[in-house]
Amino acid sequence: MINNVETYLYIALFLFAIGLYGVLARRSLIAVLISVELMLNAAMINFMAFNRFLAPHPAVGQIYALFIMAVAAAEAAIGLSIIVAIYRKMKSINVEHATELRG
Amino acid sequence: MSAWFSDLTLLGCFLCMVLPIASFGLIMIFTRNNHKLSLAISLLCSTIPLMIAWSLLYRYWDIAEPIVYNYDWILSDFIKIPFGFLLDPTSLLMLTIVATISWLVQIYSIGYMEGDPGFGNYYAFLSLFALSMLGVSISSGLLQLYICWELVGVSSYLLIGFWYEKFSASEAGKKAFVVTRFGDVGFFMGLAILTIFYGNLEIANINSAAVAQSMPPWLISTGALLIFCGVMGKSAQFPLHVWLPDAMEGPTPVSALLHSATMVAAGVFLIARIYPFFSASPEAMAVALALGTITLLLSSTIGMVATDIKQVWAYSTVSQLGFMIMGLAAGSYFAGYFHLTTHAGFKALLFLCSGVFIHHFGTNDFFVMAAKGGRKLIIPMVTITIAALALSGIFPFSGFFSKEAILGALYHHPNKIWFLMGLFGAFLTAYYTFRVIFVMLFPKNSAPEEKHGHDEPHEEHHGVPWVMSIPLLILATFTIILGFCQGYLERFLLGHTLHHEHNYLLLVSAVIAALSGIGLAWLDWGSKKAKCVGFISYVPALENFFKEKWYMDHFWRWFLNAFIYGTFSRLFTYNDRRVVDGGVDTVAFSTIGSGRLLSFLQTALLQLNLLFMVVVVAGVGLYLLMGR
Amino acid sequence: MVEHVADFPYLTCMLLAPVVGLTIILFLKEEWHFLIRVVSLSAAAIALGLSIYTFVNYDTALGGLQFVEKYEWVKSFGIYYYVGVDGINAPLLLLTGIVIFTGVLTMWELENRVKEYFAFMLALVTGVFGVFMSMDMFVFFLFYEIAVVPMYILILIWGSTRKIYAAMKLTLYLMAGSGLIIPGILLLYATSGINTFDMIQLHGVHFAPWVQKTAFVLLYFGFGVLAAVWPFHTWSPVGHVAAPTAVSMLHAGVLMKLGAYGILRVAMFLCPDGFQYWAQLMALLAAVGIVYGVFVGLAQTDLKYVIGYSSVSHMGIVGLGLATGTVDGINGSVFQMFAHGVMTALFFSAVGYIYDRTHTRMIYELGGFSKIMPVASGYFIIAALCGAGVPGFASFWAELLVFISAVKVFPVRGLIALASIVIGALFALRVVQKTFYNEPNPKFIHFKDVSPFLGLPRAILVATMVLFGIFPRLMLDLIKSAVVPFVNGL
Repeated sequence: MINNVETYLYIALFLFAIGLYGVLARRSLIAVLISVELMLNAAMINFMAFNRFLAPHPAVGQIYALFIMAVAAAEAAIGLSIIVAIYRKMKSINVEHATELRG
Repeated sequence: MSAWFSDLTLLGCFLCMVLPIASFGLIMIFTRNNHKLSLAISLLCSTIPLMIAWSLLYRYWDIAEPIVYNYDWILSDFIKIPFGFLLDPTSLLMLTIVATISWLVQIYSIGYMEGDPGFGNYYAFLSLFALSMLGVSISSGLLQLYICWELVGVSSYLLIGFWYEKFSASEAGKKAFVVTRFGDVGFFMGLAILTIFYGNLEIANINSAAVAQSMPPWLISTGALLIFCGVMGKSAQFPLHVWLPDAMEGPTPVSALLHSATMVAAGVFLIARIYPFFSASPEAMAVALALGTITLLLSSTIGMVATDIKQVWAYSTVSQLGFMIMGLAAGSYFAGYFHLTTHAGFKALLFLCSGVFIHHFGTNDFFVMAAKGGRKLIIPMVTITIAALALSGIFPFSGFFSKEAILGALYHHPNKIWFLMGLFGAFLTAYYTFRVIFVMLFPKNSAPEEKHGHDEPHEEHHGVPWVMSIPLLILATFTIILGFCQGYLERFLLGHTLHHEHNYLLLVSAVIAALSGIGLAWLDWGSKKAKCVGFISYVPALENFFKEKWYMDHFWRWFLNAFIYGTFSRLFTYNDRRVVDGGVDTVAFSTIGSGRLLSFLQTALLQLNLLFMVVVVAGVGLYLLMGR
Repeated sequence: MVEHVADFPYLTCMLLAPVVGLTIILFLKEEWHFLIRVVSLSAAAIALGLSIYTFVNYDTALGGLQFVEKYEWVKSFGIYYYVGVDGINAPLLLLTGIVIFTGVLTMWELENRVKEYFAFMLALVTGVFGVFMSMDMFVFFLFYEIAVVPMYILILIWGSTRKIYAAMKLTLYLMAGSGLIIPGILLLYATSGINTFDMIQLHGVHFAPWVQKTAFVLLYFGFGVLAAVWPFHTWSPVGHVAAPTAVSMLHAGVLMKLGAYGILRVAMFLCPDGFQYWAQLMALLAAVGIVYGVFVGLAQTDLKYVIGYSSVSHMGIVGLGLATGTVDGINGSVFQMFAHGVMTALFFSAVGYIYDRTHTRMIYELGGFSKIMPVASGYFIIAALCGAGVPGFASFWAELLVFISAVKVFPVRGLIALASIVIGALFALRVVQKTFYNEPNPKFIHFKDVSPFLGLPRAILVATMVLFGIFPRLMLDLIKSAVVPFVNGL
């Protein structure tokens, strides 16, 4: 019962929901960034799970996982640099203060 | 290419075109600021054409067949414009007149323009003028003639506006160019229509007798009338005469060369040039006769009240041009052309003499000149009197013969009214001419206060420099002897001598008209008891009318302001700003505006937006999943 | 059409000269102004030299396309790198060479962001060369877009008077034009059935009448925007005014010709029946443009606006010539493209010198400049006389040919347009009088006249005008060799 695909999917769902909540609810940009990483990890777990139980070829999901890791690293770098830039300009990393583009 | 050098005639024609333009280019590019060198170049490049012109005239005195040289200048599909030379009596005579007067004026200008900062430019412009006018004389095709004709307009523009710091001078230059352009557009339309319906516009071809038969009459008339528009512009015929009096803002030698002797005669020359074609259209001849007559009377009457000496001669030029056109339009090619020749001599002389007075006294007002002792300048005073006698048509001066010829032609016209008008014009001419002469010769003490002339200021000079008096003497000689050459010229131009029936009625009436004009002038201005007011002042309304130049200037000014600037220009500009541009801008701004309307959705609350996104994506996802 | 393959890639070199110059400039330091100028001048000089070479060595007796290079580019769509010269584009390539060369010289005194400026200018001119030499519709359009884009930046950064508005307006207009051109080109491509963008091959296809009519009107208005066809002209005076001097020169001198050339080369060449159908409209819009341009110009007070509207009028003459569809008319039209290009370049170059000194272009603030700087003013006066259609300059012949053939084909429109040249003269001389004659404004009296080196570009332009004005056959025989077969194919 433990070692089947659904268990992993539930874990991933849980992780994704936490990440989504973090993105939507936390006001600090750093926390938002961390939450995004959680969501990416949830996707990664999904890939690994499907690969383990369903895919004919054993390597495809792992390759995607590696890709996601690379993307996450790039995203973290760019995201952090944007946050630093925002901090320099606003003296704050609160999302609600970044309102320059209000219509 | 070797033909250019083996054939001396061709080489001569070629040099007549190349030398002046070379002079113009050299002076403008290199030697503008070196007055002596510029003068030398320009004189060299006008003396050679002078010699060429006279030797060509001598060599081809018994010319029977016209000599034509043609080279391709432009070969498009349908439009072919040759560049060439046509030498026949008409062009040879004009060539000689232009080269001679142009040379004399260049000599005279050495004295007149001395010390002017634009001396170099002046000679460059004179060279440009020489090029274009020589080109008009010997062009072989009408389109080539038109091109030179336009260049004449340009050089006239540059020379009138020579003292461009003066507002009136630059204004006059512009006016001259635009008004003549007005006529030239008609000319060009005529050429376009003739090209389209007929094709070959070589002068030798268009003058051939076959043309009159092969073309439909409407085409000849339309063509001739449109070409006459160009004549009206250049030769200052009513109603386009308004530019010529203003053109006197230019230096006086320029007025002598361009605006009396040669350039304005170009229109008359054009009619003479295509006379067989022109006379094939009775309508065009009638229009020309009527307009010539109106011009003659209009400008003579204005000449009676002008006080600026150059204005008097300017109006006199306009009237004499009208007179020439009357002669041509009355059917006598010789009379019109002969008057052109004599007029070129004596009118240039009149202007050059006036130039001496203006130069000497620094004023244009001949009352002031008289008061300052104008008659003490012996040479100019004698020569101006000779020229005035010629202008009034007194025996034995050249004007007598040519006027006689024109009046003869008018006399033979079936409608005698033109003849009477011509006589009246001759009377007025004599009157206004001798008004000037008598005022100058017999100054009254009641002369008006000295006022500052609007010509260029000059230091007080002593005596007349010889470079200025020599051309006067040469021209005076021409004025005296040219009349007696009538027979030779007739044989040269027409190939045979006209049969002169001595019509004493004609002779006597002409002499009486001239003498009574002079007599009236004597009574009004000359004799000791004269009141020094013109007889016209007894009718103040008329005098005012003449002084206001028949309100023609007002009319054109009104026309320009009301229609060109006031209506079309303003409406179109308004349309451009508001309708065309405004329409486009409205589209652009409404795009921006509609964006503004929806921009309230952009709250800048990042997480709220994300929430919306998540909800919508989840909703759609659920719908897709459950919908199955 | 006969083709003569080149023995040496002259045209590719002409196209690459600005690209290489541009690349070198990108690697130079921002402060090395002189070096940057020299590099761009030499790139322009190479392009000019090659364009003169092709102009002189084009064999009119052989005719057809010469100096041809043709390589496959994208086979599945039938796109070729296909360049060649005939009598129609040889003068325009020469014009581009002259204008870019004199344009670089005119901007010699620029001090503000020199590197970027010359880089963008060379990019712009690459596009222009590409358009004029391409015989492939797709590559043609590609270069067309390349030519349009740098203009936006050039006006935005180095411009004056309402530059943001002008740059935006110009770009939007031209993009709208492109938006019409693309469907036109694709319609022809799709209905041809031979899967090629090669215009020479497409010329052999007989398109259905509805295709021709639709494609022609799309292409006519699309290119017409760039050729300032009335009523799509308002971007052009605004753009001229805002642009810096050399950009105005390129813009009015060359870019507007791209539009007219496109109408001739793509629209008329590929859709002859469509042209016959729309010729009346073309003539009408052109005649309106001629008359309208001079009247609006008469009311302007900014020197560059005046020139801008005179361009509208003169481009109307080009359009009128094209609309006649006769050999004379198209000869005149192509000649006018060349002559007007040189003339407006001279105009803007002359105004640029005065504006750089006085920082005003308002006619009523200037005055008496003939006294202050006789040579610099002389160039403007010469340009104004060209504009007034004085003989002795190339533009005279062009106008003569166009007007005579226009009177022949469209008598009423032709005569009305012809009559407007009186106003043209008034309009040119009015500006000359107000700006250069009368008493000088004491504020400007201390300015120096143009030095021989800085006067060089203007002198080159004047010399070109006069050369082809006195010997028109140098140009006209060449043009005719291409126009005669062109008209036979209509």
